[in-house]
Amino acid sequence: MPRLYRTREGEATAVDTKSQLITLGSETAPGPLLVPAGATELAGIIVAAIMNMAAATSYSALVRLEGPGLPGGPEVIAAGAGGVPVATGGNAVIAAEFIALNIPVTPGNEILIFGEMAGTDVGQVSFGVTLIFEA
Amino acid sequence: MSKTLTVEGDIATVDAIARLTSQGSVTAPSLVVPSGMSKIDKIIIAASAEGLADGSAVFYIRLGGNAVKRGEQTIMASAAGRIAVQTGSDAAPQITSLFILHNADIEVTPSDTLTISAEMAGSDLGTGRAVATLVFA
Repeated sequence: MPRLYRTREGEATAVDTKSQLITLGSETAPGPLLVPAGATELAGIIVAAIMNMAAATSYSALVRLEGPGLPGGPEVIAAGAGGVPVATGGNAVIAAEFIALNIPVTPGNEILIFGEMAGTDVGQVSFGVTLIFEA
Repeated sequence: MSKTLTVEGDIATVDAIARLTSQGSVTAPSLVVPSGMSKIDKIIIAASAEGLADGSAVFYIRLGGNAVKRGEQTIMASAAGRIAVQTGSDAAPQITSLFILHNADIEVTPSDTLTISAEMAGSDLGTGRAVATLVFA
């Protein structure tokens, strides 16, 4: 079945706090992420998350999916972890990961995407999440 | 049978669409979906930045144009973070591995044109670079 790809990104700047991902680079207000018409399931997500290396500590990262577009309720998915021993010279690039899922969705309803930093406050974690709908 | 299309280009700044229209020695490769192909079956992407500024960012591509049947599709590719080194030290490179999406299954119309773009979002880490291969089936 054809697949549709919807993406949001954003930053978490406080620990143990949900940060909604509401932008898409050059689109500062892309609007609510609605389940596309005809979509039958959330077939997977693509996740990329990384810290800014500005604090000598470590973290883990979560993605939360919530909202009326998910009739089965919210989902929480691991997005990464990392740390640096000193607050200078940290440098990393990671490729995104595809995670296969099979989650029911309700077409025309919104899914809210949150990024969350857990552990200790590393300053900033950037998140990018693509939802893959099968339609 | 498969056919590939690869494009690459600079990402000059953050939160701005950067069209990927070149292919190394080929400055203007065709962006037309090959005849007989009906979907993008796989996508291979690598995107990073030179790391000249501090922060964290994500990189993704946009697939659009009149060849994409269900409108623009956006696909996350990578993330990068960087903080300045101590005085007198050299910074590490910002090298990423490929992100490969199998079974992408994006419907396209043969003989129509694609637009392929990349973006860096979050902090501006300096000039970025992206390459993307679409595998048609």
